[in-house]
Amino acid sequence: MKTAAPVAATEIRFRSLFENTPELILYQNENSTILDANPAFLKLVEKPKDQVLNHQYDEFLPPEVRPLFKEKLAEAFTGRIVRFEMYASQGGSAPRHWDVVKVPLMEHGKVVGVHMVARDITEKTQSQDQILAQNKDLQQFTYIVSHNLRAPLANALGLVGLLGVEEADSPEFEHARTHLQVSLEQLDKVLQDMNTILAIRDKQGLAEPEDVPLAEIVLQVLQNLQDVVHECGGTVRVTIPDHFQVRGNRAYLYSSLFNLLSNSIKYRDAQRPLLVELTATGEEGQEKVITFADNGLGIDLAQAGADVFQLYKRFHPTHPGRGVGLYLVKTHVESMGGRIEVSSQVGEGTQFTITLP
Amino acid sequence: MYTLLIDDDPITIFLTERLLKHEGLSDTAASFQDATEALHFLLKQITVGLVPQVVLLDLNMPLVSGWDFLDLLKRHEIQLQGHCLVYLLTSSVAPSDKARAETYPLVAGLLHKPLNKQKIQQIRDHVLPAATAADA
Repeated sequence: MKTAAPVAATEIRFRSLFENTPELILYQNENSTILDANPAFLKLVEKPKDQVLNHQYDEFLPPEVRPLFKEKLAEAFTGRIVRFEMYASQGGSAPRHWDVVKVPLMEHGKVVGVHMVARDITEKTQSQDQILAQNKDLQQFTYIVSHNLRAPLANALGLVGLLGVEEADSPEFEHARTHLQVSLEQLDKVLQDMNTILAIRDKQGLAEPEDVPLAEIVLQVLQNLQDVVHECGGTVRVTIPDHFQVRGNRAYLYSSLFNLLSNSIKYRDAQRPLLVELTATGEEGQEKVITFADNGLGIDLAQAGADVFQLYKRFHPTHPGRGVGLYLVKTHVESMGGRIEVSSQVGEGTQFTITLP
Repeated sequence: MYTLLIDDDPITIFLTERLLKHEGLSDTAASFQDATEALHFLLKQITVGLVPQVVLLDLNMPLVSGWDFLDLLKRHEIQLQGHCLVYLLTSSVAPSDKARAETYPLVAGLLHKPLNKQKIQQIRDHVLPAATAADA
Protein backbone atom coordinates (compact mmCIF):
# COMPACT_ATOMS: atom_id res chain seq x y z
CA MET A 1 0.00 0.00 0.00
CA LYS A 2 2.89 2.31 0.73
CA THR A 3 4.01 2.33 -2.90
CA ALA A 4 0.54 2.99 -4.35
CA ALA A 5 0.60 6.76 -3.83
CA PRO A 6 3.87 7.40 -5.77
CA VAL A 7 2.63 5.30 -8.72
CA ALA A 8 -0.59 7.31 -8.89
CA ALA A 9 1.40 10.54 -8.69
CA THR A 10 3.61 9.40 -11.59
CA GLU A 11 0.52 8.49 -13.58
CA ILE A 12 -0.91 11.98 -13.02
CA ARG A 13 2.37 13.56 -14.09
CA PHE A 14 2.62 11.58 -17.30
CA ARG A 15 -1.08 11.99 -18.10
CA SER A 16 -0.69 15.76 -17.71
CA LEU A 17 2.26 15.76 -20.08
CA PHE A 18 0.33 13.66 -22.62
CA GLU A 19 -2.75 15.88 -22.41
CA ASN A 20 -1.07 19.28 -22.45
CA THR A 21 2.10 19.12 -24.54
CA PRO A 22 1.98 20.89 -27.93
CA GLU A 23 3.85 17.90 -29.40
CA LEU A 24 1.87 15.18 -31.15
CA ILE A 25 1.89 11.86 -29.28
CA LEU A 26 0.55 8.61 -30.72
CA TYR A 27 0.74 5.06 -29.48
CA GLN A 28 0.70 2.45 -32.23
CA ASN A 29 0.82 -1.32 -32.59
CA GLU A 30 2.88 -3.22 -35.12
CA ASN A 31 0.19 -2.86 -37.82
CA SER A 32 0.37 0.93 -37.52
CA THR A 33 -3.07 1.07 -35.88
CA ILE A 34 -3.43 4.10 -33.58
CA LEU A 35 -4.21 2.88 -30.06
CA ASP A 36 -3.95 6.26 -28.36
CA ALA A 37 -3.63 9.87 -29.51
CA ASN A 38 -3.14 13.02 -27.47
CA PRO A 39 -5.26 16.21 -27.75
CA ALA A 40 -2.53 17.98 -29.76
CA PHE A 41 -2.86 15.35 -32.49
CA LEU A 42 -6.68 15.41 -32.42
CA LYS A 43 -6.61 19.18 -32.69
CA LEU A 44 -4.21 19.12 -35.65
CA VAL A 45 -6.21 16.58 -37.66
CA GLU A 46 -9.53 18.11 -36.48
CA LYS A 47 -11.11 14.77 -35.62
CA PRO A 48 -12.78 13.46 -32.44
CA LYS A 49 -10.94 10.70 -30.62
CA ASP A 50 -13.33 7.93 -31.79
CA GLN A 51 -12.49 8.73 -35.44
CA VAL A 52 -8.78 8.37 -34.73
CA LEU A 53 -8.43 5.41 -32.36
CA ASN A 54 -8.28 2.02 -34.10
CA HIS A 55 -7.65 3.76 -37.42
CA GLN A 56 -4.50 3.35 -39.48
CA TYR A 57 -2.03 6.24 -39.14
CA ASP A 58 -1.73 6.08 -42.96
CA GLU A 59 -5.22 7.56 -43.21
CA PHE A 60 -3.81 10.82 -41.84
CA LEU A 61 -0.65 10.88 -43.95
CA PRO A 62 -0.17 11.84 -47.60
CA PRO A 63 0.73 8.81 -49.77
CA GLU A 64 4.32 9.94 -50.41
CA VAL A 65 5.42 9.65 -46.76
CA ARG A 66 3.56 6.40 -45.93
CA PRO A 67 6.43 4.06 -46.95
CA LEU A 68 8.83 6.10 -44.79
CA PHE A 69 6.56 5.78 -41.74
CA LYS A 70 6.11 2.06 -42.33
CA GLU A 71 9.85 1.56 -42.49
CA LYS A 72 10.54 3.66 -39.38
CA LEU A 73 7.79 1.93 -37.38
CA ALA A 74 9.20 -1.49 -38.29
CA GLU A 75 12.62 -0.26 -37.20
CA ALA A 76 11.24 0.89 -33.84
CA PHE A 77 9.63 -2.54 -33.40
CA THR A 78 13.10 -4.07 -33.47
CA GLY A 79 13.63 -2.27 -30.13
CA ARG A 80 15.48 0.80 -31.35
CA ILE A 81 14.63 4.47 -30.81
CA VAL A 82 14.18 6.01 -34.24
CA ARG A 83 14.41 9.70 -35.07
CA PHE A 84 13.80 11.41 -38.42
CA GLU A 85 12.52 14.60 -40.03
CA MET A 86 9.79 14.94 -42.60
CA TYR A 87 7.71 17.55 -44.35
CA ALA A 88 4.06 16.58 -44.69
CA SER A 89 0.49 17.45 -43.91
CA GLN A 90 -1.41 15.37 -41.36
CA GLY A 91 -5.14 14.93 -41.72
CA GLY A 92 -6.39 18.16 -43.27
CA SER A 93 -3.57 20.31 -41.87
CA ALA A 94 -1.21 22.44 -43.90
CA PRO A 95 2.15 20.77 -44.59
CA ARG A 96 4.67 21.34 -41.81
CA HIS A 97 8.20 20.24 -40.97
CA TRP A 98 8.22 17.59 -38.24
CA ASP A 99 10.92 16.18 -36.02
CA VAL A 100 9.66 12.66 -35.30
CA VAL A 101 10.83 10.27 -32.57
CA LYS A 102 9.52 6.71 -32.28
CA VAL A 103 10.13 5.08 -28.91
CA PRO A 104 9.44 1.35 -28.44
CA LEU A 105 7.62 0.17 -25.29
CA MET A 106 9.18 -3.02 -23.96
CA GLU A 107 7.43 -5.65 -21.87
CA HIS A 108 9.34 -8.76 -20.79
CA GLY A 109 12.02 -8.07 -23.40
CA LYS A 110 9.54 -7.76 -26.21
CA VAL A 111 8.29 -4.64 -28.03
CA VAL A 112 4.53 -4.38 -27.47
CA GLY A 113 3.93 -0.97 -29.02
CA VAL A 114 5.61 2.24 -30.17
CA HIS A 115 5.10 5.79 -28.97
CA MET A 116 5.56 8.51 -31.54
CA VAL A 117 6.36 12.08 -30.50
CA ALA A 118 6.34 14.65 -33.32
CA ARG A 119 7.53 18.22 -32.80
CA ASP A 120 6.65 20.98 -35.23
CA ILE A 121 9.97 22.49 -36.42
CA THR A 122 8.57 24.49 -39.32
CA GLU A 123 9.71 27.93 -38.05
CA LYS A 124 13.16 26.61 -37.21
CA THR A 125 13.53 24.96 -40.61
CA GLN A 126 12.35 28.08 -42.41
CA SER A 127 14.75 30.35 -40.56
CA GLN A 128 17.53 27.88 -41.29
CA ASP A 129 16.69 28.02 -45.01
CA GLN A 130 16.60 31.80 -44.79
CA ILE A 131 20.04 31.87 -43.19
CA LEU A 132 21.39 29.58 -45.92
CA ALA A 133 19.95 31.87 -48.60
CA GLN A 134 21.43 34.94 -46.88
CA ASN A 135 24.76 33.17 -46.62
CA LYS A 136 24.73 32.50 -50.34
CA ASP A 137 23.84 36.16 -50.92
CA LEU A 138 26.76 37.28 -48.77
CA GLN A 139 29.13 34.97 -50.59
CA GLN A 140 28.01 36.44 -53.89
CA PHE A 141 28.36 39.93 -52.40
CA THR A 142 31.92 39.21 -51.23
CA TYR A 143 32.83 37.93 -54.67
CA ILE A 144 31.46 41.03 -56.37
CA VAL A 145 33.14 43.35 -53.91
CA SER A 146 36.50 41.64 -54.17
CA HIS A 147 36.31 41.86 -57.94
CA ASN A 148 35.40 45.52 -57.86
CA LEU A 149 38.13 46.36 -55.38
CA ARG A 150 40.63 44.35 -57.36
CA ALA A 151 39.89 46.01 -60.73
CA PRO A 152 40.98 49.59 -59.85
CA LEU A 153 43.71 48.26 -57.58
CA ALA A 154 45.20 46.19 -60.43
CA ASN A 155 45.11 49.26 -62.67
CA ALA A 156 46.83 51.34 -60.00
CA LEU A 157 49.56 48.72 -59.60
CA GLY A 158 50.07 48.54 -63.35
CA LEU A 159 50.17 52.33 -63.69
CA VAL A 160 52.72 52.73 -60.91
CA GLY A 161 54.91 50.27 -62.81
CA LEU A 162 54.34 52.21 -66.03
CA LEU A 163 55.30 55.54 -64.39
CA GLY A 164 58.72 53.99 -63.79
CA VAL A 165 59.35 53.46 -67.50
CA GLU A 166 57.57 56.38 -69.15
CA GLU A 167 59.74 59.40 -69.80
CA ALA A 168 59.10 62.05 -67.17
CA ASP A 169 57.12 65.08 -68.46
CA SER A 170 56.01 63.18 -71.60
CA PRO A 171 52.27 63.25 -72.39
CA GLU A 172 52.11 59.49 -71.66
CA PHE A 173 53.62 60.07 -68.22
CA GLU A 174 50.94 62.67 -67.52
CA HIS A 175 48.22 60.30 -68.79
CA ALA A 176 49.49 57.52 -66.58
CA ARG A 177 49.51 59.84 -63.58
CA THR A 178 45.95 61.04 -64.25
CA HIS A 179 44.76 57.47 -64.72
CA LEU A 180 46.42 56.51 -61.45
CA GLN A 181 44.52 59.27 -59.71
CA VAL A 182 41.24 58.08 -61.27
CA SER A 183 41.93 54.45 -60.32
CA LEU A 184 42.53 55.39 -56.70
CA GLU A 185 39.35 57.46 -56.67
CA GLN A 186 37.44 54.45 -58.06
CA LEU A 187 38.90 52.31 -55.30
CA ASP A 188 37.78 54.83 -52.73
CA LYS A 189 34.30 54.92 -54.30
CA VAL A 190 33.92 51.15 -53.97
CA LEU A 191 34.82 51.39 -50.29
CA GLN A 192 32.28 54.19 -49.84
CA ASP A 193 29.66 51.96 -51.51
CA MET A 194 30.49 49.24 -49.01
CA ASN A 195 29.91 51.68 -46.15
CA THR A 196 26.54 52.71 -47.58
CA ILE A 197 25.42 49.12 -48.13
CA LEU A 198 26.65 47.85 -44.78
CA ALA A 199 24.93 50.76 -43.03
CA ILE A 200 21.58 49.74 -44.56
CA ARG A 201 22.12 46.08 -43.70
CA ASP A 202 23.07 47.00 -40.14
CA LYS A 203 19.84 48.87 -39.62
CA GLN A 204 17.77 46.11 -41.19
CA GLY A 205 15.17 45.00 -38.67
CA LEU A 206 16.26 47.66 -36.20
CA ALA A 207 14.66 50.76 -37.68
CA GLU A 208 11.04 50.96 -36.53
CA PRO A 209 8.78 51.26 -39.57
CA GLU A 210 6.52 54.28 -39.56
CA ASP A 211 3.52 55.40 -41.59
CA VAL A 212 4.91 57.61 -44.30
CA PRO A 213 2.71 59.84 -46.48
CA LEU A 214 3.96 58.85 -49.94
CA ALA A 215 2.88 62.07 -51.67
CA GLU A 216 5.17 64.07 -49.40
CA ILE A 217 8.20 61.94 -50.30
CA VAL A 218 7.40 62.10 -54.02
CA LEU A 219 7.14 65.88 -53.77
CA GLN A 220 10.60 66.08 -52.18
CA VAL A 221 12.08 63.91 -54.93
CA LEU A 222 10.42 65.99 -57.64
CA GLN A 223 11.63 69.24 -56.08
CA ASN A 224 15.18 67.99 -56.00
CA LEU A 225 15.14 66.75 -59.57
CA GLN A 226 12.78 69.33 -61.11
CA ASP A 227 15.58 71.28 -62.83
CA VAL A 228 16.93 68.19 -64.59
CA VAL A 229 13.43 66.98 -65.52
CA HIS A 230 12.63 70.44 -66.87
CA GLU A 231 15.91 70.69 -68.80
CA CYS A 232 15.28 67.47 -70.70
CA GLY A 233 11.68 68.44 -71.42
CA GLY A 234 10.30 65.61 -69.32
CA THR A 235 6.98 65.15 -67.55
CA VAL A 236 6.27 63.26 -64.34
CA ARG A 237 2.64 62.24 -63.72
CA VAL A 238 1.82 61.27 -60.18
CA THR A 239 -1.39 59.51 -59.13
CA ILE A 240 -1.55 58.94 -55.40
CA PRO A 241 -4.88 58.65 -53.52
CA ASP A 242 -5.52 61.23 -50.77
CA HIS A 243 -3.96 60.39 -47.38
CA PHE A 244 -2.14 57.44 -48.94
CA GLN A 245 0.44 56.09 -46.53
CA VAL A 246 2.96 53.28 -46.71
CA ARG A 247 4.61 51.47 -43.84
CA GLY A 248 8.37 51.93 -44.07
CA ASN A 249 11.21 54.33 -43.66
CA ARG A 250 11.24 57.88 -45.02
CA ALA A 251 14.90 57.95 -46.01
CA TYR A 252 14.68 54.61 -47.82
CA LEU A 253 11.57 55.59 -49.73
CA TYR A 254 13.13 58.88 -50.71
CA SER A 255 16.36 57.22 -51.83
CA SER A 256 14.50 54.51 -53.79
CA LEU A 257 12.28 56.95 -55.70
CA PHE A 258 15.17 59.35 -56.22
CA ASN A 259 17.26 56.57 -57.74
CA LEU A 260 14.43 55.39 -59.99
CA LEU A 261 13.70 58.89 -61.28
CA SER A 262 17.41 59.61 -61.78
CA ASN A 263 17.65 56.44 -63.86
CA SER A 264 14.62 57.44 -65.93
CA ILE A 265 16.25 60.78 -66.68
CA LYS A 266 19.66 59.26 -67.37
CA TYR A 267 18.36 56.46 -69.61
CA ARG A 268 15.64 58.40 -71.41
CA ASP A 269 15.15 57.89 -75.11
CA ALA A 270 16.32 60.85 -77.19
CA GLN A 271 13.59 59.99 -79.75
CA ARG A 272 10.74 61.21 -77.50
CA PRO A 273 10.23 63.47 -74.50
CA LEU A 274 10.55 61.67 -71.17
CA LEU A 275 7.30 60.63 -69.52
CA VAL A 276 7.28 59.07 -66.06
CA GLU A 277 4.13 57.78 -64.41
CA LEU A 278 4.07 57.05 -60.72
CA THR A 279 0.94 55.37 -59.37
CA ALA A 280 0.12 54.12 -55.90
CA THR A 281 -2.67 51.69 -55.01
CA GLY A 282 -3.72 49.60 -52.02
CA GLU A 283 -6.43 49.93 -49.39
CA GLU A 284 -5.69 50.64 -45.76
CA GLY A 285 -4.46 47.48 -44.03
CA GLN A 286 -3.54 45.82 -47.32
CA GLU A 287 -0.32 45.57 -49.29
CA LYS A 288 0.61 48.82 -51.00
CA VAL A 289 1.74 48.81 -54.61
CA ILE A 290 3.76 51.62 -56.15
CA THR A 291 4.33 51.41 -59.90
CA PHE A 292 6.97 53.54 -61.52
CA ALA A 293 6.96 53.50 -65.32
CA ASP A 294 8.97 55.44 -67.88
CA ASN A 295 9.14 55.58 -71.69
CA GLY A 296 12.93 55.40 -71.81
CA LEU A 297 15.49 53.16 -73.50
CA GLY A 298 14.36 50.04 -71.64
CA ILE A 299 16.45 47.07 -70.53
CA ASP A 300 16.84 43.86 -72.51
CA LEU A 301 15.59 41.55 -69.74
CA ALA A 302 16.22 38.41 -71.78
CA GLN A 303 19.89 39.31 -71.67
CA ALA A 304 20.04 40.97 -68.24
CA GLY A 305 17.82 38.40 -66.53
CA ALA A 306 18.38 38.16 -62.81
CA ASP A 307 21.19 40.70 -62.99
CA VAL A 308 19.03 43.82 -63.15
CA PHE A 309 19.32 44.49 -59.41
CA GLN A 310 22.81 43.05 -59.06
CA LEU A 311 25.55 45.28 -57.65
CA TYR A 312 27.88 46.80 -60.28
CA LYS A 313 25.86 45.39 -63.18
CA ARG A 314 25.26 47.85 -66.01
CA PHE A 315 22.94 47.73 -68.98
CA HIS A 316 23.71 50.94 -70.82
CA PRO A 317 27.50 50.99 -71.03
CA THR A 318 27.53 54.06 -73.25
CA HIS A 319 25.96 56.13 -70.45
CA PRO A 320 27.92 57.01 -67.35
CA GLY A 321 26.91 55.03 -64.30
CA ARG A 322 28.36 52.66 -61.76
CA GLY A 323 25.76 49.91 -61.36
CA VAL A 324 24.85 50.82 -57.80
CA GLY A 325 21.45 52.57 -58.04
CA LEU A 326 19.11 49.63 -58.58
CA TYR A 327 21.03 47.49 -56.10
CA LEU A 328 20.43 50.17 -53.46
CA VAL A 329 16.75 50.45 -54.41
CA LYS A 330 16.32 46.70 -53.95
CA THR A 331 18.23 46.70 -50.66
CA HIS A 332 16.11 49.58 -49.35
CA VAL A 333 12.82 48.02 -50.42
CA GLU A 334 13.73 44.65 -48.94
CA SER A 335 14.86 46.18 -45.67
CA MET A 336 11.32 47.61 -45.38
CA GLY A 337 9.95 44.08 -45.83
CA GLY A 338 8.87 44.74 -49.42
CA ARG A 339 9.80 43.45 -52.83
CA ILE A 340 10.51 44.97 -56.23
CA GLU A 341 9.90 43.63 -59.73
CA VAL A 342 10.79 44.95 -63.14
CA SER A 343 9.35 44.63 -66.61
CA SER A 344 10.78 46.32 -69.67
CA GLN A 345 10.71 46.54 -73.45
CA VAL A 346 13.73 47.86 -75.29
CA GLY A 347 12.76 51.06 -77.06
CA GLU A 348 9.50 51.39 -75.11
CA GLY A 349 10.35 51.82 -71.46
CA THR A 350 10.75 50.26 -68.06
CA GLN A 351 8.28 49.64 -65.26
CA PHE A 352 9.15 48.93 -61.64
CA THR A 353 6.59 47.59 -59.21
CA ILE A 354 7.31 48.03 -55.51
CA THR A 355 5.10 46.13 -53.08
CA LEU A 356 5.23 47.13 -49.42
CA PRO A 357 3.53 45.40 -46.48
CA MET B 1 52.70 40.75 -82.52
CA TYR B 2 49.30 41.63 -83.98
CA THR B 3 47.13 42.08 -80.91
CA LEU B 4 43.44 42.70 -80.29
CA LEU B 5 42.51 44.23 -76.93
CA ILE B 6 38.98 43.93 -75.55
CA ASP B 7 38.28 45.63 -72.24
CA ASP B 8 35.43 47.92 -71.19
CA ASP B 9 37.81 49.89 -69.00
CA PRO B 10 39.70 52.64 -70.90
CA ILE B 11 42.42 52.78 -68.24
CA THR B 12 43.24 49.10 -68.72
CA ILE B 13 43.38 49.65 -72.48
CA PHE B 14 45.76 52.57 -72.03
CA LEU B 15 47.93 50.55 -69.67
CA THR B 16 48.04 47.51 -71.95
CA GLU B 17 48.81 49.55 -75.06
CA ARG B 18 51.66 51.34 -73.31
CA LEU B 19 53.13 48.14 -71.91
CA LEU B 20 53.02 46.48 -75.33
CA LYS B 21 54.76 49.52 -76.81
CA HIS B 22 57.52 49.39 -74.19
CA GLU B 23 58.05 45.73 -75.07
CA GLY B 24 58.31 46.68 -78.72
CA LEU B 25 55.15 44.77 -79.59
CA SER B 26 52.80 47.51 -80.66
CA ASP B 27 53.33 47.09 -84.41
CA THR B 28 49.66 46.37 -84.92
CA ALA B 29 47.06 46.59 -82.22
CA ALA B 30 43.34 47.26 -82.22
CA SER B 31 41.44 48.07 -79.04
CA PHE B 32 37.74 47.86 -78.28
CA GLN B 33 35.72 48.76 -75.21
CA ASP B 34 32.69 46.99 -76.59
CA ALA B 35 32.88 43.22 -77.14
CA THR B 36 30.25 43.28 -79.89
CA GLU B 37 32.27 45.76 -81.94
CA ALA B 38 35.38 43.68 -81.34
CA LEU B 39 33.57 40.60 -82.60
CA HIS B 40 32.52 42.35 -85.81
CA PHE B 41 36.09 43.48 -86.31
CA LEU B 42 37.48 39.99 -85.72
CA LEU B 43 35.00 38.37 -88.12
CA LYS B 44 35.94 40.92 -90.77
CA GLN B 45 39.61 40.14 -90.19
CA ILE B 46 38.87 36.44 -90.72
CA THR B 47 37.30 37.15 -94.12
CA VAL B 48 40.28 39.26 -95.26
CA GLY B 49 42.76 36.75 -93.81
CA LEU B 50 44.33 39.15 -91.28
CA VAL B 51 43.63 37.42 -88.00
CA PRO B 52 45.25 38.87 -84.86
CA GLN B 53 47.86 36.59 -83.33
CA VAL B 54 46.73 37.43 -79.81
CA VAL B 55 43.45 38.47 -78.28
CA LEU B 56 43.61 39.92 -74.76
CA LEU B 57 40.09 39.53 -73.44
CA ASP B 58 38.60 40.99 -70.27
CA LEU B 59 35.98 38.75 -68.63
CA ASN B 60 33.83 41.13 -66.64
CA MET B 61 32.16 43.48 -69.11
CA PRO B 62 28.58 44.78 -69.21
CA LEU B 63 26.10 43.31 -71.73
CA VAL B 64 28.50 41.06 -73.63
CA SER B 65 31.00 39.56 -71.19
CA GLY B 66 34.27 37.86 -72.10
CA TRP B 67 32.54 34.49 -71.73
CA ASP B 68 29.74 35.62 -74.05
CA PHE B 69 32.36 36.73 -76.55
CA LEU B 70 33.98 33.28 -76.47
CA ASP B 71 30.60 31.62 -76.91
CA LEU B 72 29.82 33.84 -79.90
CA LEU B 73 33.19 32.97 -81.36
CA LYS B 74 32.59 29.22 -81.11
CA ARG B 75 31.22 29.00 -84.65
CA HIS B 76 34.47 30.43 -86.02
CA GLU B 77 36.83 28.41 -83.87
CA ILE B 78 38.09 26.31 -86.79
CA GLN B 79 39.14 29.39 -88.77
CA LEU B 80 41.03 30.75 -85.76
CA GLN B 81 42.57 27.59 -84.33
CA GLY B 82 46.36 27.66 -84.70
CA HIS B 83 46.40 31.29 -85.86
CA CYS B 84 44.99 33.15 -82.90
CA LEU B 85 45.56 32.70 -79.17
CA VAL B 86 43.12 34.15 -76.68
CA TYR B 87 44.40 35.24 -73.26
CA LEU B 88 41.86 36.08 -70.62
CA LEU B 89 42.96 39.15 -68.72
CA THR B 90 40.93 39.47 -65.56
CA SER B 91 40.94 41.08 -62.16
CA SER B 92 38.84 38.25 -60.80
CA VAL B 93 40.48 35.73 -58.53
CA ALA B 94 37.64 33.20 -58.68
CA PRO B 95 39.08 29.68 -59.04
CA SER B 96 36.04 28.64 -61.11
CA ASP B 97 37.24 30.93 -63.94
CA LYS B 98 40.29 28.78 -64.58
CA ALA B 99 38.26 25.59 -64.94
CA ARG B 100 35.82 27.34 -67.23
CA ALA B 101 38.62 28.82 -69.33
CA GLU B 102 39.94 25.31 -70.02
CA THR B 103 36.70 24.39 -71.78
CA TYR B 104 37.49 26.83 -74.62
CA PRO B 105 40.08 25.46 -77.06
CA LEU B 106 41.03 28.96 -78.25
CA VAL B 107 41.99 30.12 -74.76
CA ALA B 108 45.74 29.82 -74.24
CA GLY B 109 45.81 31.13 -70.70
CA LEU B 110 44.28 33.17 -67.92
CA LEU B 111 46.26 36.15 -66.68
CA HIS B 112 45.50 38.23 -63.62
CA LYS B 113 45.59 41.99 -63.97
CA PRO B 114 47.72 44.01 -64.02
CA LEU B 115 49.55 43.00 -67.14
CA ASN B 116 53.32 43.42 -66.77
CA LYS B 117 56.61 42.76 -68.54
CA GLN B 118 56.80 39.12 -67.37
CA LYS B 119 53.29 38.29 -68.50
CA ILE B 120 53.86 39.88 -71.91
CA GLN B 121 57.08 37.88 -72.22
CA GLN B 122 55.13 34.74 -71.43
CA ILE B 123 52.64 35.53 -74.19
CA ARG B 124 55.39 36.37 -76.67
CA ASP B 125 57.27 33.13 -75.96
CA HIS B 126 54.08 31.27 -76.65
CA VAL B 127 52.92 33.17 -79.73
CA LEU B 128 56.07 33.91 -81.69
CA PRO B 129 57.35 30.28 -82.06
CA ALA B 130 53.81 29.26 -82.93
CA ALA B 131 53.62 32.00 -85.55
CA THR B 132 56.98 30.95 -87.00
CA ALA B 133 55.80 27.35 -87.17
CA ALA B 134 52.57 28.37 -88.86
CA ASP B 135 54.46 30.48 -91.42
CA ALA B 136 56.84 27.60 -92.19
